[in-house]
Amino acid sequence: MEPSEVFVIIPAFNENAVLRSTVSGVVSFGYTVVVIDDGSDIPAKSHLEGLDVYCLRHAVNLGQGAALQTGGEFALIHGARVIVHFDADGQHRPELIERLVNPIVHGKVEVVLGSRFLDANDRRMVPRRKRILLKTAAFVSWAFTGVWLSDAHNGFRALSRTAAAKIQLKENGFAHATEILDLLRRAKLSWQEVPVTIRYTSYSQAKGQSMFNSFNIVIDLMLRKLFK
Amino acid sequence: MTSIQGILIAGFVIAAIFASTVFRTKLVYRLMALLLFLTATILVIFPDVTTVIAHALGVGRGADLVLYVSLVTGIDVALLLYLRIRDLEQRISRLVREVALRDARHITAATEPESTEKNRVTTRL
Repeated sequence: MEPSEVFVIIPAFNENAVLRSTVSGVVSFGYTVVVIDDGSDIPAKSHLEGLDVYCLRHAVNLGQGAALQTGGEFALIHGARVIVHFDADGQHRPELIERLVNPIVHGKVEVVLGSRFLDANDRRMVPRRKRILLKTAAFVSWAFTGVWLSDAHNGFRALSRTAAAKIQLKENGFAHATEILDLLRRAKLSWQEVPVTIRYTSYSQAKGQSMFNSFNIVIDLMLRKLFK
Repeated sequence: MTSIQGILIAGFVIAAIFASTVFRTKLVYRLMALLLFLTATILVIFPDVTTVIAHALGVGRGADLVLYVSLVTGIDVALLLYLRIRDLEQRISRLVREVALRDARHITAATEPESTEKNRVTTRL
């Protein structure tokens, strides 16, 4: 399979120069990169001049889940075989995309989810407070979906074409991470977790989800369960 | 008639006129709103009616019954509005997404920053 048949979706909302280095890192591996500018104040396009990427812009800010859905639809229209979700803030490593894509290419599973808790070295890199938060998130996700993951809110994942067509995200915000698990189970798609190393920079830390936001996510999930 | 009755009835009349303007194209809503305000006015003029109904339902005072009923109605209305907003959100998302897909751009090494029209990606929706 050609690397260009792997579409890497990078949602971006008010990212600065980090976006450019993240994108160029992925582009260098030959993947097709789709940046979804989720209504940034300064259009993300201005950071991407001269890079070989597709850029789609939401006229107003909708949220990360909505941006991933837009990217997924674009990728399906343009013949993607595998769709990868990748964070713009530089916390994911482009050289690991292959690790997520391989099980799908070899027909083993439909969905591959990155986890920073499978490998002892990766686990050690997670700050203590973050670890507690993520484990709580994993538990909450399990309670809502019945799918047990070691790392439920890791945004690094890969979907086969079939899986992407079945997973229609309706949660515009960050609750999409749990929504995906719910849809996985309902559509009876096979999945597996693979270890990924997360780069913790002060930028990605600041951009990451706060305690307060986690509370919002739980409320979103409860509302989702109540009002399908 | 006490002054509170006057104030309440005046409020109902204004609300009825307002509702009638808002639901100009919806006859059913208009009639329902009219019926609601008519009932409310009658109950304000003859407060003993609420007391009779309250006693029949096992509530001590008419005013308490009105409070309970309006509380439940208020919560129902809030939930209905929440569902409407959620539905609207989904519609806006679809709209924004269609526009984004239609205006997708392919940036390449040779792209002049502003020659956007040339790099339009034709996306059949």
